[in-house]
Amino acid sequence: MTTAKKASKVDYRAKIIQGYIEYVLEHGQEPPSVFKFAKDLKMKEEDFYSYFTSFEGIKSAVWTRLFEETLGNLESQEVFKEYSAREKLLGFLFTWIEELKKNRSYLLASYQSQKNTKGVLPMEVKAFRDKFKDFANEIILEGKETEEIANRPLISDRYDEALWLQVWFVFQFWLKDTSPAFEKTDAAIEKSVNLAFDLMGKSALDTFVDFAKFLYQNK
Amino acid sequence: MKENKVKEQSSIPVSKVQRAAKFISTGAKVGGNYVKHYAKKVVNPSMTKDELHNNNAEDIYNSLSQLKGSALKVAQMMSMDKNILPRAYQDKFTMAQYSAPPLSYPLVVKTFQKYFGRTPDTMFDTFTKSAVNAASIGQVHQATKDGKKLAVKIQYPGVADSVSSDLKLVRPFALRLLNMNERELDHYMEEVEGKLLEETDYELEVRRSKEISQACSHIENLNFPGYYEEMSAQRIITMDWIEGKHLREWLETNPDQKDKDRIGQALWDFYHHQVHNLLQVHADPHPGNFIIQNDGKLGIIDFGCVKVIPEDFYKGYFSLIKKDLLINEEELNQIFYGLEFISDKDTDEEKIYFKSVFKEMISLLGKPFHVSSFDFSNDEYFEQIFKLGDRISNDKMFKKSRQARGSRHGLYINRTYFGLYNLLNQLQANVKTTKPEWLESRTPEKVES
Repeated sequence: MTTAKKASKVDYRAKIIQGYIEYVLEHGQEPPSVFKFAKDLKMKEEDFYSYFTSFEGIKSAVWTRLFEETLGNLESQEVFKEYSAREKLLGFLFTWIEELKKNRSYLLASYQSQKNTKGVLPMEVKAFRDKFKDFANEIILEGKETEEIANRPLISDRYDEALWLQVWFVFQFWLKDTSPAFEKTDAAIEKSVNLAFDLMGKSALDTFVDFAKFLYQNK
Repeated sequence: MKENKVKEQSSIPVSKVQRAAKFISTGAKVGGNYVKHYAKKVVNPSMTKDELHNNNAEDIYNSLSQLKGSALKVAQMMSMDKNILPRAYQDKFTMAQYSAPPLSYPLVVKTFQKYFGRTPDTMFDTFTKSAVNAASIGQVHQATKDGKKLAVKIQYPGVADSVSSDLKLVRPFALRLLNMNERELDHYMEEVEGKLLEETDYELEVRRSKEISQACSHIENLNFPGYYEEMSAQRIITMDWIEGKHLREWLETNPDQKDKDRIGQALWDFYHHQVHNLLQVHADPHPGNFIIQNDGKLGIIDFGCVKVIPEDFYKGYFSLIKKDLLINEEELNQIFYGLEFISDKDTDEEKIYFKSVFKEMISLLGKPFHVSSFDFSNDEYFEQIFKLGDRISNDKMFKKSRQARGSRHGLYINRTYFGLYNLLNQLQANVKTTKPEWLESRTPEKVES
């Protein structure tokens, strides 16, 4: 980041992202064409393509930025290293929601009106999802080591997917949240993470399955 | 030493676990009612939901009244039967909060960042990662800073928001069960809701705590924690950690009668000064809010619930407590009207009946005020109160009346005195029951304050 060249590159990228967000905020929709958008930014269209190939790419970059800022912020907290797996996920979500808050209008403009956010994941979020899953897998691995999370054949390989669904749920909840300071989202995070970890932890269910297996094998 | 607070708080009715179990069983019953309802509906599709609601209401009310046992009886009587409803609401409300699991540390960190822009470990020298004690709508962490031990109370998110909706939830049951019309119910509900909302405002709590502890600082044998405004916010309170034992723990150490009397006297003086001189009172005298310190002083925490007493109400209410009720009939009537014990909607027969009931009740409750010192270890006195409560609430006249009786301000004042008497009884204390000059006089001269 120290070299002048890189700095200017980052600048341009950032400028495009910022320009895009502002456009959406002011017009409530994305620019009609890359040409028009580049012109507004006083750029050549071809220069635009050296950073992004489509608006999708910009949107994706917004999400990636959200993720990286969240993680950066989280890791700068001393206490983060001491957190248990459960607390790490909680910490991530709480910090993430704070980052989201800075971009709430943009996110509302982009995602509130979409009816399909529940069913189909928008393309541009996929990069964010993959990054989150990497993060989640680290947590899960750690959780398994400390036995916070039970190792169950087949099922435990899908935990990252489950945690992702939870993140997406929190996002949806937050978009609709009208409580002051989004306190309800805080409560939703707290409760849903506790549920998720209680489900993933060793529970009566495991004992039950074990017992059922025993009966089946010995009938 | 504060760890026992949750347990302490429920010491009037039963233990927390039992209460929780009670509520689970109610939940199961209510669930069962729904099953029954739909099963019946298959057979008889014309069945309305009224029956269902009735069943639910009965089960809920049953469990509520079982929960409180004799405590409820006294409350019932002191607040004239129908006012107990808000109490039931309140207990239900706090109950809901009890079952909330503790806040995770990341959320604590987030709350701190929200209000101070810093994390707890940068604000304090040490800070416990998990809560050391649950408060009614939050939790308490222990911290140290500059060699001082501190208690940091953090509120659960969304509590303030849920107060109104929680109360609305129980409202339909209350209406049906207490045979009260909607407007009358609202009259009390407003009071309860207002107080509960106040309790969620920690900034107000800090302000009041400072105010009252300063105004009471001259009273002997009392100790108040210091509050730190710069480390408090809407959802966070930082105050000195009060070291010592809770009432029950302290009583287990078999203190001398002299010590018990001293603590009891400090309590009485504390309430005396608040009610009669400040006209605002710490309206939550449950054992968890009092800590007996190692130097024998009484530490007072938690000013979440403070009732400001309107002057009119104050005069009416306490002039009834005077031993020689020499006020003439007309004046008495006026007071009864003022306190909303009777109203124009009553028939003459009702008026006479209720006046006699209230007089009897007040003279009984006012007993400690009629003597220069009162022995609260006298269980017989409390028996008498229970009995009268029983008799009144089973009386036909009382059951028939659809009116809410008693001023809304009485709600918290009654609760305060009930709590105070109860504490003094637990302490088995003999107390000099001081009263303001105008209550002492034996002539029926006009009241002044």
